[in-house]
Amino acid sequence: MDPAADRTDTPQGAGIRFDRVTVAYGGTTVLDALDLTVEPGEVMALLGPSGSGKTTALRAVAGFVRPASGRVMIGGRDVTDLPPYKRGIGMVVQQYALFPHLRVDQNVAFGLKARRTPRGRIAARVTEALEMTGMAGYARRYPRELSGGQQQRVAIARALAIRPGVLLLDEPLSALDARLRSGMLAELSRLHRELPDVSILYVTHDQIEALTLADRIAVLDQARLQDCGTPHELYRTPRTEFTATFVGNANLLRVRAGEPGSVSLDATTLRVTAPDDASTGPAAGAEATLCVRPHALRITDAKATGPAAGSPEAAAVPGANILHGTVTDVQWRGHTHRLLVEAHGHELRADVGDLRQPPRVGDDVALTFDAEDGVLLPAGLAGGVPVG
Amino acid sequence: MLVHSRKGRWTAWLFFFVLFLPLFALPFLVVVMASFATHWSGAFPSHATFAHYRDVTHGDSLHALTTSLLTALAASLLALVIGTWAALAAERLRGAARRVLDGLFMLPVAVPSVVVGLSLLVAFSQPPFLLNGTARIVVLAHTVLVTAFAYQSVSAALSRLDPAYEQSAASLGARPATVLWRIRIPLLLPSLTAAAGLCFALSMGELSATMMLYPPDWVPLPVRIYGATSRGSLFEGAALAVVLMLTTLVVLLGMSRVRTRASYR
Amino acid sequence: MASATAGPPPQAPAEPATRGRRPQAPGTRHRTRRVPGWAWALPPVAALGLSFLYPLVLVAKQSLSPDSGGHSFAAYTQVFHEDSFRKALWNTVWIATASTAGCLVLGFALALVIAFVPFPGGKALSRFIDVFLAFPSFLITLALLFVYGTVGMANGLWTDATGAAHGPVAFLQTPWGVLLAEVTYFTPFVMRPLLAAFSQVDTAQVEAASSLGARAPRIVRQIILPEALPSLAAGGSLVLVLCLNEFGIVLFTGAKGVTTLPMLVYSKAILDGDYPGACAVAMVAVVLSVALYALYRAAAARALGGGRRARA
Ligand SMILES: Nc1ncnc2c1ncn2[C@@H]1O[C@H](COP(=O)(O)OP(=O)(O)OP(=O)(O)O)[C@@H](O)[C@H]1O
Ligand SMILES: [Mg+2]
Repeated sequence: MDPAADRTDTPQGAGIRFDRVTVAYGGTTVLDALDLTVEPGEVMALLGPSGSGKTTALRAVAGFVRPASGRVMIGGRDVTDLPPYKRGIGMVVQQYALFPHLRVDQNVAFGLKARRTPRGRIAARVTEALEMTGMAGYARRYPRELSGGQQQRVAIARALAIRPGVLLLDEPLSALDARLRSGMLAELSRLHRELPDVSILYVTHDQIEALTLADRIAVLDQARLQDCGTPHELYRTPRTEFTATFVGNANLLRVRAGEPGSVSLDATTLRVTAPDDASTGPAAGAEATLCVRPHALRITDAKATGPAAGSPEAAAVPGANILHGTVTDVQWRGHTHRLLVEAHGHELRADVGDLRQPPRVGDDVALTFDAEDGVLLPAGLAGGVPVG
Repeated sequence: MLVHSRKGRWTAWLFFFVLFLPLFALPFLVVVMASFATHWSGAFPSHATFAHYRDVTHGDSLHALTTSLLTALAASLLALVIGTWAALAAERLRGAARRVLDGLFMLPVAVPSVVVGLSLLVAFSQPPFLLNGTARIVVLAHTVLVTAFAYQSVSAALSRLDPAYEQSAASLGARPATVLWRIRIPLLLPSLTAAAGLCFALSMGELSATMMLYPPDWVPLPVRIYGATSRGSLFEGAALAVVLMLTTLVVLLGMSRVRTRASYR
Repeated sequence: MASATAGPPPQAPAEPATRGRRPQAPGTRHRTRRVPGWAWALPPVAALGLSFLYPLVLVAKQSLSPDSGGHSFAAYTQVFHEDSFRKALWNTVWIATASTAGCLVLGFALALVIAFVPFPGGKALSRFIDVFLAFPSFLITLALLFVYGTVGMANGLWTDATGAAHGPVAFLQTPWGVLLAEVTYFTPFVMRPLLAAFSQVDTAQVEAASSLGARAPRIVRQIILPEALPSLAAGGSLVLVLCLNEFGIVLFTGAKGVTTLPMLVYSKAILDGDYPGACAVAMVAVVLSVALYALYRAAAARALGGGRRARA
């Protein structure tokens, strides 16, 4: 049997599925029973801190690590036991790994030659891939003669030339400087619009990249999937403390749940948004975690009017949802001031617009937020994941 | 910078050159001077002549030179193939098997070359392998001795090779043989030429095992140099030694030219 | 439980993207018939076995079967009783040990200057050292004959100056001549790995230390030496074995008084034709070299571990 015969290129429109994939290196589990589905044509960002197992998950799809248990499917086909060269996926790694002894066009042609594409077709596909990434003018250069951003484009062109149904990107922008990175981010979005059938698994530890590019984000921490949802969902209604702090750096307040839509912090009553699903909302009187984004906090000069809070219209009433505290640090960040405020036993981060006269350390301030910006984490999950 | 005072620096340099020049530079200078002389009276050689070099261009000395060149060429190519193959095979092994292979291929360094020569003499003077008295046994001895160095340098180069290249190639659909041939060997080329150069040079200068084995019609240059000096023809020996050094240098230089042309970063 | 926290959010479709096709059952996994990894090691190991191990075994065998036939330790007992053997053994060990010590000290000092008290031409010097390694050892003895030999430079200077018939320098035919040649020849073998290690030493560390007022000896002891210890150990072990096995230098010295084990093997086999005796001496030399090498590697590994701990 011709060994090449069982290497079918992944069909366009193939998804990826992790089915309880567990990976261990010598006893330590670096990926713990990962269940995740990337729909055909979807961009899934794998977001998590360093060492959380993102690269490992990607390498399990590519075939460079063997799961200790669980299956990996591409386009509905179980590829767990296939060697990498039979999986037909495109992959771009952090350092690009362009073959230094081959010219740009030879790099891009490599995958096509490896699968014995007819000569005439190779040239056309190389040109196409280079044009798509805007590198057509550099075909005869060697990788060392390219800038970092150009090398990155060639790496993507090389992965796209084989027309993979699945594209794996491992921190493709991390070797670029900030300005180039935002340009490439727009470029990648455009590429995905041009190739709507390619499923992309995009590993990153940068939440901006994930929020910008992804249809959905899977948040990994300590070898486990913590959360998965659209960028909007993760940002607006995080489901775990880890997601809340890792995506958007939220303030977490330990509060006591009152009637639906209100919680109490010490003696103060706050109007908040309960989880969509009432059944996951905390029972009245139970401990709960309130999540407030730093930029949702504003300084107010209103004095708390105590009793008014708690009434349904409290959120609209000036003086409601007020947290009193003492400023412990003021950092000017150009367009905002980041205040650290000691309030009710919590150190709150507040990003307030560039103030003419920012408070000084030691000043007493009152902070307020809108009811829809205060989100209660679902009960039962809130304390489940330790926040690092 | 470690030493900051001007005086301290000069002391360090003085110390360095007082040791370095007489120990390492003087020997070469003396041999070169002697190769152009026939007598050594007083502090310096005398009776300048090119006669020793003229002798190298014909007769037994020329034969010794070509013998050495051919032996070194054959031995270094063989060693490169075997050493590279072994290093590539060792890379796929883990744990004890890997250590055993490493140990086996480095063993010829630990065993005295004279003993290697003796053992080949003992083994290949009797059936089923009768090689004694042929040029092949000299080539074999040199191959055994230099393979360890080829193995070591290729192993080191392999461990420095970034696995991202071969993994990218595999993800693009290249089978292991393609990855080896189109990616790894080209990337290893600089190290391979360096290893070949080292093996060639070591083989050119090999004396210990050769002294045990050489047949009368296959006398390599080092043996001939020994013959000259033990006869008392020190100056002829010096000229032959200069020729040996120059040939080695030219080969090393040529290899490093290839290397720079083949290195990609 | 991971799935409790990890399931897709309610909005996401929960079923896998198998698109109607069922995943393959484990029984029909793709498996290629591949040659197992160790099989690739067989051809080179076979080549090595035939050209190196098999001959060594034959040497061992021959050392146990004297010309008279049968198997006995006669060759060994006879060799052990010979004065020349005991002297050769002693010479081999002490010259090798002393040479190694000399190379380590000299190599460390010279490499220190090249790396940390840089001067123009230092780069070229390191190249020179690389080339030096590729030259055969007997060249050094040949050169020393012209420098310290009976009609060499040193004695020539003396006779020129004093008018005496002979110079006083005559150590070349003694073990000291061998020692000098070995230290000269093998010092670069120590310097090269050291220079590589020194180029890894963080210059910021050295600068920080000297800005804190540490003097050169202290910096060498506390920062550079721990960093260099592994290379020093590796270079030292290599030089020790190479010195034990050195033949060319001793042969070219041409002194009857300086016999080492390799020299004895040569003279017994080639000059005397005493193969069982030569094989017995050869086995002793092999055991000595391999044992000392192993011992040194073990010690070096411990020193290396200590160095790592000190740096951690
Ligand atoms: N080859 C390996 N052997 C042993 N442990 C490994 C190996 N590769 C990764 N690990 C460990 O597995 C864990 C997850 O590694 P992984 O590379 O997947 O992290 P990551 O999320 O990609 O991090 P980063 O953002 O830093 O790239 C880490 O703790 C790492 O130390
Ligand atoms: Mg990673």
